[in-house]
Amino acid sequence: MSRLLAILFHQGVLDEQFLQLQQLQDESSPNFVSEVVTIYFHESEKLLRNLRGLLLDREFSDYKKMGIHLNQFMGSSSSIGAKRVRNVCVAFRAASEQNNRAGCLRALELLEHEYCYLKNKLHELFQMEQQRVLAAGVRYPLHQQH
Amino acid sequence: MAALQRVAPSLGTSASTYGSCKGAGADVIVSDQFPAGLRVLVVDDDITCLRLLEKMLRRCLYHVTTCSQATAALKLLRERKGCFDVVLSDVHMPDMDGFKLLELVGLEMDLPVIMMSADGRTSAVMRGISHGACDYLIKPIREEELKNIWQHVIRKKWNENKEQEHSGSFEDNDRHKRGNDAENASSFSEGAEGVLKGQKKRSIAKDEDDAELENDDPSASKKPRVVWSVELHQQFVSAVNHLGIDKAVPKRILELMNVPGLTRENVASHLQKFRLYLKRLSGVAQQGGISNPFCGLLDSNVKLNPLGRFDIQVLAASGQIPPQTLAALHAELFGHPAGSMVTTVDQPALLQASVQGPKCIPAEHGMAFGQPLGKCQTNMSKHFPQNVVSAEEVATGFVAWPSNSVGTVGPISNLGGMSSKNSNMLMDVVQQQKQQQQSPHLPSLPEPSRIINVQPSCLVVPSQSSATFQAGNSPASVNQNCSYSRSPMIDYSLLSPQSNNSSLNIGQISHGDLKTTGVSGYSGSGSISPLSSCSVNPDNTSQQGQSSTMTIRAARQLPGLGPNISNFQGSYGAKSSEVLDQGPLRNLGFVGKCTSIPSRLAVDEFESTMSNLEHEKLYMETNGNKVKQEPNGNAVKQEPNVEFMDNAKVLIPILPQLPPNTSDLMSVFTE
Repeated sequence: MSRLLAILFHQGVLDEQFLQLQQLQDESSPNFVSEVVTIYFHESEKLLRNLRGLLLDREFSDYKKMGIHLNQFMGSSSSIGAKRVRNVCVAFRAASEQNNRAGCLRALELLEHEYCYLKNKLHELFQMEQQRVLAAGVRYPLHQQH
Repeated sequence: MAALQRVAPSLGTSASTYGSCKGAGADVIVSDQFPAGLRVLVVDDDITCLRLLEKMLRRCLYHVTTCSQATAALKLLRERKGCFDVVLSDVHMPDMDGFKLLELVGLEMDLPVIMMSADGRTSAVMRGISHGACDYLIKPIREEELKNIWQHVIRKKWNENKEQEHSGSFEDNDRHKRGNDAENASSFSEGAEGVLKGQKKRSIAKDEDDAELENDDPSASKKPRVVWSVELHQQFVSAVNHLGIDKAVPKRILELMNVPGLTRENVASHLQKFRLYLKRLSGVAQQGGISNPFCGLLDSNVKLNPLGRFDIQVLAASGQIPPQTLAALHAELFGHPAGSMVTTVDQPALLQASVQGPKCIPAEHGMAFGQPLGKCQTNMSKHFPQNVVSAEEVATGFVAWPSNSVGTVGPISNLGGMSSKNSNMLMDVVQQQKQQQQSPHLPSLPEPSRIINVQPSCLVVPSQSSATFQAGNSPASVNQNCSYSRSPMIDYSLLSPQSNNSSLNIGQISHGDLKTTGVSGYSGSGSISPLSSCSVNPDNTSQQGQSSTMTIRAARQLPGLGPNISNFQGSYGAKSSEVLDQGPLRNLGFVGKCTSIPSRLAVDEFESTMSNLEHEKLYMETNGNKVKQEPNGNAVKQEPNVEFMDNAKVLIPILPQLPPNTSDLMSVFTE
């Protein structure tokens, strides 16, 4: 798992904020990271759907509303350490402030791409963590016997 | 009677304001385990952040209550008054604007409110400060930042006490008595009654609720704030000058000003701040030991030359300036800006901020100005939110000019953004910035450029300015020139490469073009103009596309690069042509826009590597060329780019890094 994490850090997909998130996990909230990330996924997909709906609308002109969605997406992404996603949001926001629809569409595609990548990798990370915990649980009883 | 009773406790105690609950709560806070047990209310519609904050705050041993809706939070606060010590609120919420919540909480419950946002652009932070936020945290918020929020509670309490004392000492006898002898019922009640009567008359026109609380405590947030607009302050200053700074008493000033609805208390507190400001200036002058012929500079520079304006400020800070001259100078300076101050408070805020300066100990002559401002901000934030901004601007003016380096900008930014931070920190940052030409590291500091924008003549602040600017190009241009010259300086150093600032970079990339071209005037406006150019030229879709692409590229690159780099690259792009197309007028108009503020800031980030002065010179030199080229429109694309690039190279030492980055950006994006 740490290797995957290292790769993600190296790629810039995650940053130190993710480490802070991990540090918040303790005995009182043992599944904190996965809880928060799950919430993040849920909210983000809502936001992405909203953004796509806004942009694909032919009579779209409400850049301000898009900006609000983006702001939230940016806030939550940066809070969990999703650096690349956040950066695309920043570019997206710039395009939206310029009322540049084409730029926004491009940014949205890129955003969706980055988000999917992040989600897959985080799922992988959690799976590996789960497996590790399970494996440790399986091993310990054997170990104790010996 | 009830009013009297209320006045008494507020004067006497330190923390209590309206509800007895609050007073009790405030006292409870200071326990052995302080700040553990601090009662925090967090309001954020983003559940992810809400959950994270809750966890982090719990780890800081605070009592946390979370709300995902502002209306629910307000209800909670009203129901359980005195059960919270501090409120953390997001800026952008669907049901209510965070700033509205901030105002309501400040008015009704007088709790310190800390704003949070993913938007860390200087303009956004500026807005937060101008609305009176105790602090503005930029997401992602770290636990360390939350650990310190208790300071806002304490500071608020202490400032309220201090204000009461100060206003008491400066005022006439009856007020003085009131301030000091809360227990002296007879004198107190006499004075209080007198004050209350006067206040009541005044307050009838204002908020009924605040009537009783409109005691001589100007720091009480509940009191309807008297906004010291530019005109009002000018009247004040001229009245003071007329009377003589030493002989100016609030009563006489009030008579001279002859402003209906203004009370002696307002004038008194304003006078106090003004005096402190003047003292600080002259004190700073002594420390600085820069003996400039103030008079000479004043004559030649006061009116027209934006640079001169700064010089005056510098002189004011560094040299020995008699208070009266300073007062006159203020009148000049603040009366100068033609552009309407979007927030009326800008000017007065500036003065007030500076006036409050004396409370802080100026560390250096240049810095001194800024520092006190920083500290003063905490004092003022409640009463004159805009002041902070303006004060910072002044500070920046002071600091930026003497040092002539990008680094100086740093402290200014600190001033603006960090009302809650230590002045020491400011100093450190400033010094750091002085040393570092490139992206100085500003931990979660709001962009300083924002401060600069606040300058009276400037465009900065709120979006309203855009209307002003665009409306009057010629008068605006004058101001803009001033602001430009300042902003580049300040912005440069201020725009530290925070990751949060990347947004600035991106948006600003187009602006960056202007900046790189070396037109310092543009840089101020430049940051803005690229945006405006994009938006103003709907027909230039290709260009816009380019710019957006550029911005996206830049955005991608931002994490890895300093803002300067990415910005610079952006500027190399097609934007420059767009910028040219706009022409100087557009730029000017654009500057006015509130959006320009952030762009300016972003651009500034680019600029941070460049020296402000250089830009200014370039601006002066190239301005003529630019103007000529503009009419050519798109055709000029190539030429300006080259020009800009050359200028940029001259200006930006960081450039060498750019070429590889550019290619990286492109490749990344194309992927």
